[in-house]
Amino acid sequence: MSIVQLSGLKKYFDAVHAVDGVDLAIDQGEFLVILGPSGCGKTTLMRMIAGLEKPTAGQIHIGGDDVTDLPPRKRGVSMVFQSYALYPHMNVFNNIAFPLKAQRREKKFNKRIIREKVENTARLLEIDMLLDRRPRQLSGGQRQRVAIARAMVTQPAVLLLDEPLSNLDAKLRANARDELKDFQRSSNITAVFVTHDQIEAMGLGDRIVVMAEGKIQQIGTPQRIYDDPANEFVATFLGSPSMNILSSDGFRFGFRPEHFLPKTLHDSPENSRIFQYYVKRVEYLGSDRLVYGYIHGHDNDLTLAKVPSNVRVSLDIEGDYEFAVHNSDIKFFDTRSGQRIEAQNLAEAV
Amino acid sequence: MIARAHPFDSRRVVGALFLAPALLYIVLIVGLPFLLAIAFGFSDVTVGNTDLNFVGLQNYLAVWENDIFRQVFETTVRFTLISQIFILIFANILAIIFTQNFTGKWFARFIFILPWATPVSLAMIGWLWMLDTKYSPIDYLLLQTGFLGPNGILSSNRNLFWLATPDLSQISVIFVQVWRMTPLATVILMAGLSSIPTDILDQAEVDGSRFMRTLLQIKLPLILPIMVIALLFSMITMFGDMTVVYVLTRGGPVDYTRVLGLYSFQVGIEGGNLAQGAAISLFAFPLLLAMAILMLRTASRAEVR
Repeated sequence: MSIVQLSGLKKYFDAVHAVDGVDLAIDQGEFLVILGPSGCGKTTLMRMIAGLEKPTAGQIHIGGDDVTDLPPRKRGVSMVFQSYALYPHMNVFNNIAFPLKAQRREKKFNKRIIREKVENTARLLEIDMLLDRRPRQLSGGQRQRVAIARAMVTQPAVLLLDEPLSNLDAKLRANARDELKDFQRSSNITAVFVTHDQIEAMGLGDRIVVMAEGKIQQIGTPQRIYDDPANEFVATFLGSPSMNILSSDGFRFGFRPEHFLPKTLHDSPENSRIFQYYVKRVEYLGSDRLVYGYIHGHDNDLTLAKVPSNVRVSLDIEGDYEFAVHNSDIKFFDTRSGQRIEAQNLAEAV
Repeated sequence: MIARAHPFDSRRVVGALFLAPALLYIVLIVGLPFLLAIAFGFSDVTVGNTDLNFVGLQNYLAVWENDIFRQVFETTVRFTLISQIFILIFANILAIIFTQNFTGKWFARFIFILPWATPVSLAMIGWLWMLDTKYSPIDYLLLQTGFLGPNGILSSNRNLFWLATPDLSQISVIFVQVWRMTPLATVILMAGLSSIPTDILDQAEVDGSRFMRTLLQIKLPLILPIMVIALLFSMITMFGDMTVVYVLTRGGPVDYTRVLGLYSFQVGIEGGNLAQGAAISLFAFPLLLAMAILMLRTASRAEVR
């Protein structure tokens, strides 16, 4: 059952169409990631769900109720900001207690209930020994937990997370990602997570919503988005290095660098497309070799190949080689619209 | 040709050059008069006899035993404290209003800053007229609305004598000081309010906090250090000020509105006793210094990051 329902949602800032017609249903208990480059409208979309921005058009339903015109406190959502936005003059206990105190009259919380809830939530996030500290005395990881605790303590219907991992250093981030996912699973809360980081998106999301220019480009599981992109934007936005895109007569086609391998490595050359490949430069990246070069007949399009290091094929600079891509790994796109086109016969035309 | 360093290549030369104007300014405008005042305070210099003869603490003892001085000192402290309370209240309210969004905000801000931007003496001449014993427009309005006059509620007189009765003269001076200093405090507090990260305020909103809670538990605590700075500014300005009372009352009626700055001026310049005038003004120095240190330390302790 969907807990959040967005229909025809738009937000215009004068001439800028930050969010330009979004329809989206978020399921109870799912971890939904909104992924897109900066300026794609993902944060604005989240702020509209939170109630911090008023939509120009469209409706927001949470738990079946139309909340489009309701202030944040009546929506049953909570939010973790990129900066964590901890109240610097309050200790951890009071930070976590703040939303409870703000709602104490409506929800009839007394001091004892508040203390209990704060302590329980703090224990859950393993910050119960930090309750007397001020935010500035905490590490980045601890601050993040305090922010999540504060967001969770009211048991919201939806937890909104705006790039909460991007302020952590790289080592902590993988760990925090894992913990966040565990925590979301065990508490079975609905989480909406905004990020521009595709690795975070792939790692965390039950489903990913890819956004660009205020519009949803594709919704799907991480694997679906990666293997079966709906258009050229999604195809090139996900994956590092990004998908090679080449032009042909009346259409464009692309394949991922890790699918573009020396012909000898393909077990069924008859189902593969073979290209003459000129190697310009090879980078050794430890687990892979990243090859820069050109396919004959596409001399203006730099084409990359990602060859696993354990493949002992020698690749010399300025050498010509036969590389191949499995037919099913080649995606076709309409030249004008960029939309994916399914056409088996096109494979012959490449 | 041998390469040789130009004098301007040296950081020390250029640094000293850039520093010189500021240093010169401080030494000539602040430093010298201050040292001179200290020297005067320990001497018997007068306008008639400018020889500096060291007389020790004689001036300070004389001033301290002077009943008028004690009253003046007490008046100065009282005026300063009372006006600070009102300045803080008004400045907070106005700063909150001016950081909201409403049409005409720019114009309202502009009008509002005028009391502070107007030269003090000019503004005071305006107030002198507003509070005139006979022709005060305030009195005229009160007369027309029935508050004054034969059957008036406030007084059966046609005038309230704003600057001529002991109570009203003090109230008038404090009121004018508040009017004059509130804009600066407001501007400082506005800067403080707008420096609060929007994330924090958004967070408070999502957390369910309403206007008053956000104001009392988030905004005001966060601008507390800045509030202390604003208080310090207006307190020090007011403590040493003489212009307002000089123009409005000359310290009268009797001594009711005589403050330290004015008294020092009257004894030292108008009365010609430079030594005692200097001693009077220097009495304020240790007090202001202590206040400044105390407040700045409070501010830095409350500072949050």
